[in-house]
This record gives sequence, structure tokens and C-alpha cells, in this order.
Amino acid sequence: MSTPGISILEGKYMATMDLFPQQSKEFNQMTPFYEHLREGRFTTTKCKGCGAESFPPRVMCPECFSVDLEWIDWPTVGTVIDVTEEMVGVPLGFGKPPLIHALVDLQGKKTFFVRIINCNAGELKSGDQVRLSVFDVDPVPQEVGREVVEIPRVFYAFEPVK
Amino acid sequence: MDRKVCVVAGGMSKWGVRDGSQRDFFQEAAKACYDDNPLMDPKDIDGLLVASAYTERTSYQTHLAPLVAEYAGIKPKNICARVELLCASGSSAIILAYAMIKSGQADIVMVAGGEKLYTPQKWEVFYSELASVDHDWDSSQGLGLPPPVFAMVAKQHMKQYGTKKEHLAAVTVKNRRNSALNPKAQFQNAVTMEEVMSGRMIVPPLTLYDCCPITDGAAAVVLAVEEKAKEMTNKPLVYVMGTGQASVNNMSANMPNWTTWEALKIAGAQAYAKSKVSPDEINVAMTHDCFTISEIIEMEDLGFCKKGEGGVFVGDGQNDFGGKIPTNTDGGLLGCGHPFGGTGIRQGIEVMKQLRGDAIQQVPNATFGLTHNLSGFIAAHTVLIYGKEVR
Repeated sequence: MSTPGISILEGKYMATMDLFPQQSKEFNQMTPFYEHLREGRFTTTKCKGCGAESFPPRVMCPECFSVDLEWIDWPTVGTVIDVTEEMVGVPLGFGKPPLIHALVDLQGKKTFFVRIINCNAGELKSGDQVRLSVFDVDPVPQEVGREVVEIPRVFYAFEPVK
Repeated sequence: MDRKVCVVAGGMSKWGVRDGSQRDFFQEAAKACYDDNPLMDPKDIDGLLVASAYTERTSYQTHLAPLVAEYAGIKPKNICARVELLCASGSSAIILAYAMIKSGQADIVMVAGGEKLYTPQKWEVFYSELASVDHDWDSSQGLGLPPPVFAMVAKQHMKQYGTKKEHLAAVTVKNRRNSALNPKAQFQNAVTMEEVMSGRMIVPPLTLYDCCPITDGAAAVVLAVEEKAKEMTNKPLVYVMGTGQASVNNMSANMPNWTTWEALKIAGAQAYAKSKVSPDEINVAMTHDCFTISEIIEMEDLGFCKKGEGGVFVGDGQNDFGGKIPTNTDGGLLGCGHPFGGTGIRQGIEVMKQLRGDAIQQVPNATFGLTHNLSGFIAAHTVLIYGKEVR
């Protein structure tokens, strides 16, 4: 990665300006979430003490404060409540407009406001089904000893069920 | 002894797409604040709270408060720190200054807030906004300071309550008319209903005119304990009466309700109870019109009209001069712009002037005023109530 005109940044990577969460175990204890994504699973943490299922996944249960948590699978298909299409102001890294989002009822677990991909403008409507879609994002060049290792990453959006 | 807290001075820099740096704007705001009250000696200020959200990102400057103190020509001895709650940073700092003075930890505290948001390459503005909501779980879906979120709120409010696009537009027409008379505001021209209705689409149903702009600028107020305030000004005293700040969720998936803002109702109830003032008694309000739909929902959830009737309420001009609750009389965010840390302070300045009786557009006999900010993914709400008396 190079930054034209700023010679001192040549070849450097700025984690503080990264779009996506760090996914290596050195920088994120929620690494299993991303490992599960690679398997097509949408997961979160459930408290073994009180049974609360939280999202985002946690280190500590926000209901009973136990740290005895387990990973569980959540549905990967949900129902669209409503759709928005952003024509102006799409952040760098999210493609050309429109950037489509939908409020999705994930089978009663939560309503997620998520990015919709593989979808044309005007195509998605209330009541439609969408499913989890996992894609690769740019790897992180991470220093391991004297070496720089590229840590692969994935992330998720949802796409129409066709 | 119960210590009462007054606002004794306030001023702001010109807001807009400005030539200059963050520290330039803080000096302009301090100067305007000092000029507002020539009887005050700034050297008496014993505390400084600075509100700025993007200082590290767009000015690459942390440890901001001592820098502002140095430039503002003051030497705080009881507090000198920065407060950050994104769009509500300024009002949060006023709450903390109030608490410090009320508790006796300080006597005279300046609260200054502002931002330099425009960078030499404009893409960076939208990119930086990805720091504003839950980075790992919402920003990574492409949500920054998100028009899509408020477009979704507007769509749901329209669906549930029959709110119309014309209702949204009425908020802009009012606030831009007010900002056109405010020389410090970003927008110096009024807009017609026809212009607003045919504006460039940002995220349907929100057009360009439904969204507040990105803004450079700063603002400052000085709060003082009543005994000193009486000696510091010959203008009517304006008191901070009560405050509330609530958060019930952060990530979008945990938002309890998109069209009734639970945290706003909690923060409002706290502020009303502590002030011993009811919504019916408020004479003037500055509410967080980051998007037009926000002002409509705020009318409802602050108790100025019934739930679901916000659209008709603003359509009838009940939030305008001569209506039930004149709102954003200086132009609001839609007209003045929104340098995050500055906004709550700008609101406080306008309420101070309304209660003193020297506002540019004066609400007759205003006795009680309210300010409100929302911040993040509608994730926190901040309410302050000011009055010419305390109860």
C-alpha cells in the first residue's frame, strides 16, 4: 500500500484507518466469529450461566456478568423490513453508489441494519428474504518477529435469496 | 449550601467551510465569548473543558485542552480536560462544568468545543466518519455518520404514522430561514419548499436539504457559580436548571425502537424532573436536527406533541415562532452546520441569548429553554434545561 506524495508512508499500512476489524488472535478475542464466517456460519456468544444470547459477541455477559460463554449459531437467512439506497456520501471502500442497506429481521434474534451486496438498485423489497454472504477483504500485513505476514480476512454482508 | 450555576458569556466563530485550523477557530470562539461579556476577566476562569470528537483524526491532535487554554489565554487550576461524546460532546462538557461548579470543585469554567472537519482531500471526511459508530460491527457495514440510518428512521416513521415528505421539508425551510439571519451560520440563504422538495437525492427519502452539512468551527461559553456570576455580568442571569443523558444501546442491532427514541425519553424525563419544569413550560428549544426527521421525532419524544403527530406538528408551524415551541431559532444544525464538539455549546449560547432577551430573533418573554443532542447511531441523548430562575 502506498500513499502518493507522502514518502515516509511508502509501503506502510495504517491499522488505525482500516475499514474492517482486526481478525488475528493477537488483536481480537472474537477471532472465532470470523473463523465461523469462513464456514458460512453466523455465530455469537451465549452465556452458559443465564442463557442470554448477545450480539455483538462478548468476553463478558452483559446481563449476569459471567465470563463462561459459548459460541452458538444464529440463522443465516432473514426477512427484509425495509431498504435504503445511499446515492451520495458512500465511504471509500464500499464501491460505487448506490450503497444498499436493509433492516433485516433475523428470525426474531435481532433486527440487523446490514449492507446488501449482489443486488441491483430497486430490486430488494420489504418481505424479501436475504442470506449471509461472506467475502474476502484485504489482508493485514502484521509484523511477526522480523517478518511481515499477511493475515487473511473475511467479512459479511447479506444478499437476496433468489 | 446549594450552589447555583449560571451561564455568563458565550460566543462562536463563524461556522462553515472555513479557511483555518482547529486552533484558529478555538481562538475566534474564545474572543467572541470574551466580547459577549466585557465585564468578565478571562483570567478569573479556573477551569476549562474542551469538547472535540475528531481532533485526533482530522487535526492529529490529542491532549487538546491545555493547547486550547494556552491559545485562549487562560490558566485553569481546577480542571483542564477534553470531553468526547461525538455530536453531544459540547453539551456533555456543559453538564460536567455544571457539576463541577455545583459541587464546589470549581467556580468559573469555560466550555469550548469545535472541530476542523474538512481535510485537503474530501474523501477523508466520509472515511473518518467510520470511527463514529461501532467500528467492528456497524462501520464495517459501510455506516459512518449515517444518512442511511436516518433515511430508515424516516421511512419507518412515514409508514407507522403517515409522516410526509412535506413535513420533513418544513423543518428545513424554517431552520434555513432562521440561519439566513444568523451571521455565524454556515448557510446564509433561505430555501423554499419547492427547492427542498426537489433537492438532490442522498438516501431516499432524504435529499440534500434534509441533511445537516459538514462544518468547521468552534463555540465557547463560560459558566460561573451564582455569587460570582452576579458580579461578572450586568445582563439577566441564566441558570442551568437540570440535565439528563441516557444511552440504552450502541450497536444498531440493539436499538430497541427506530421511531421512538427510548434514551431520549429517559434523558428528557431526568432533565424535566431535576429542573422541576414540564414540557409545557419550555418557551424555546434547540433540538438536534442532524436530519429533518430527527426534529420531528424530538418534538414527540421530548413531550411537545403526542407520539406520531410530529409531522403534522411541524407542518402546522408549531415548532416555529408563534407556535407552541419555537425550535432552532438560530438555524439549528441544518442551518448553522455541525462541527460536532461545537454544537451543544452553540445551542447553549442561543438559549442563553433567548433567556437574556438579546437573541437575533427573540422569542417574547422566554423564561425556560431546552437543548438536546443525539449522538452516534442514535445511541445517546443529552438534554439540558436552562431558566431565568431555579426551582
